[in-house]
Amino acid sequence: MASVAAPPVVAAPRALPGWLTNGLAQIGALLLAFVIALALGAVIVVLYGENPLDVYAAIFKFSFTITDGPAYVMAVATPLIFSALAVSICFKAGLFNIGVEGQFLVGMLTAAWAALYLDFIPGPLLMWTVLLFASLGGMAYAAIPAVLKVKTGAHEVVTTIMLNGIAVSLVGWALNGPLKFTNPPPGQNVDLRTDPFPRNALVPDLGHVFGFGKGPNLSWLFPLAIVAAIIIWFVVKRMRLGFEARAVGAAAGSARAGGISIGGVQIKLFLISGALAGLVGMQQILADQGLLPKNYIAQLGFTGIAVAFLGRNNPIGIIFAALIWGILARGETALQIETDVPREFVIILQGLLILTVVITYELAKRRLARRQVRTAAAEELIVTVESAPEEVPT
Amino acid sequence: MLGDLGYAVQVAFTYYTVIYLTGLGGLFSERSGIVNIGLEGMMIIGTVTGSFGAFYFTSAVADGGLGLGQPWGPILGLLFGMACGAAFASIHALATVTFRIDHIVSGVVINLVAVGLARFLSSVFFGQATQSDPGQPHLSLIDVPLLSSIPQFGRAFENLSPVVFVGLLAVFPAVYVLYRLRWGLRLRSAGENPEATRSLGVRVAPLRWQAVLISGALAGLAGAFLSVEATGHWREGQTQGLGFISLAALILSNWNPRRLMAAAFLFGFAQAIPLTLDNWPIIRSIPPQFVNMTPYIVTIVVLAGFVGRVRPPAAAGKAYEGGST
Repeated sequence: MASVAAPPVVAAPRALPGWLTNGLAQIGALLLAFVIALALGAVIVVLYGENPLDVYAAIFKFSFTITDGPAYVMAVATPLIFSALAVSICFKAGLFNIGVEGQFLVGMLTAAWAALYLDFIPGPLLMWTVLLFASLGGMAYAAIPAVLKVKTGAHEVVTTIMLNGIAVSLVGWALNGPLKFTNPPPGQNVDLRTDPFPRNALVPDLGHVFGFGKGPNLSWLFPLAIVAAIIIWFVVKRMRLGFEARAVGAAAGSARAGGISIGGVQIKLFLISGALAGLVGMQQILADQGLLPKNYIAQLGFTGIAVAFLGRNNPIGIIFAALIWGILARGETALQIETDVPREFVIILQGLLILTVVITYELAKRRLARRQVRTAAAEELIVTVESAPEEVPT
Repeated sequence: MLGDLGYAVQVAFTYYTVIYLTGLGGLFSERSGIVNIGLEGMMIIGTVTGSFGAFYFTSAVADGGLGLGQPWGPILGLLFGMACGAAFASIHALATVTFRIDHIVSGVVINLVAVGLARFLSSVFFGQATQSDPGQPHLSLIDVPLLSSIPQFGRAFENLSPVVFVGLLAVFPAVYVLYRLRWGLRLRSAGENPEATRSLGVRVAPLRWQAVLISGALAGLAGAFLSVEATGHWREGQTQGLGFISLAALILSNWNPRRLMAAAFLFGFAQAIPLTLDNWPIIRSIPPQFVNMTPYIVTIVVLAGFVGRVRPPAAAGKAYEGGST
């Protein structure tokens, strides 16, 4: 490797405090990732004979200048905030919850069941009950990989992948069986779905408060997602569980020696993660559709992983990352209307962005670590140089 | 009754081929130390590019193709899907081997990107994002001599795609390469103990790159088989999680190419049951979704150690700091 041949550092950079170097490196890495991703995307745009700047401007402008644009962005971001938070809380302890996908599907099932069968609950209490059932469903489904990991050592990545497959079949079964619609509109061939939920079960519209139209279905779930992010931030930074999680994630051996029950922490985190995952599907069934259809929007759990990485697993970063994701998603329509580039270009751009973000952060982290080693080495060197100036190791 | 069973086995052969080829791809990658949960995505790329390749190489020059006709058109189409699968897998290799990114992160991104890239390629190839044009060129189907003349059950050996035989015979070259060639020994040692491998003067990174490219090629071939041969069209979402089922079969096989055959056939048969035996009263009384779940449930049970024991390659998923050498 090239670093072996690097010359000894004479003037080690030591003027800046550690947190600032760290923060600057993070921002630098993020900007670099954006530039690389946009540049790679530009290559594709040029192949289509369009001007990349125009295309990017079209994507960006569509979320702000078109009527209701911001509301669409926030509505798209809502489920992604929940799913990215679910991923990030597990990641604090080095756990990988790829099962957010399955947990959110099960959450939609339990929520749909509650909305249809507990409809005797009066007023807005029904909505809160439905949300509670969604969380409980996600939680129960997340408990399976958590307990399996702690009790049998089965790796959570593989078990959650398998549980995702099972969840897809569970939804298919429920829509064909226990939750299947009872009275389809006469003379119409409707797709498989549940009956419409009672009005009380739905989450009220928020968009009209800010003067947006009905179209985007921006609901009170968006502020709820923000609150969830703040709570998670508080748990991670200020509460004992957050400290324990970070200890387990950083060095499981030391954490155990420090008296932390690793299994206990892992199960608690998985349950919190599942509770958040359960809420991922609520935007589509309680705000967009008012029922659970067969062609529900899938992949939100996996997209949450991408958003969590874009937001650096920081709850506040995740809110912004989800909004960026929403802006890009909104840009699909802009591409279709204003350019010849296929709208799927946006998905490619999102993928490029995630890849570049993950890679640049990893490289920045390594660079920082190397520099720390070099700084320490340089300080030692000064001591060495004073005693034996002729023999500087290279 | 026996005829139905024969039909079920015939469909199971098709699923087997997809699961075995993809699982074998995963086996190469994981045996070299790179966890590959991006198999599903690599397969998706194989479906769309294979379908396009078969169209392009087969159809007449007047229609914008190369006019190679049968059987070279579909064969080159399948190979094109294979090559594109490998090319797509190079992202995973670049991220995990060269940049030493977490294998799971890279795999998740691969799967996410594949869905979008497939739509993108489809709108470039076919002018529509979610399916191919009608009239997919494919290889002519084969009846196995003798076996297909068994009364009733012989149906199992009728109308099979030639690629099914590739799937059935792939175990021989795979075992030879992995267990008889020096390259295979080195590959397996890179997955068990990369430091020891390096200390013997064997460079780990090229081995892992090759293994990931092979896994992409095999998953791409499986995908191309699925669109060109098995279903006769490309359609979004047609992989239906078969990449993950392949991963399940790989785990059940304990990362062994011979046992992978049994696991792939078992899971392939489970997929075929609700499709083919639905007029058997016992089968009809079980919701088909529960039958479809069985591969996943079996895998969880095995992983949890309730039945049997599996052991993944020791270094799989761990970043090797000498990764660039």
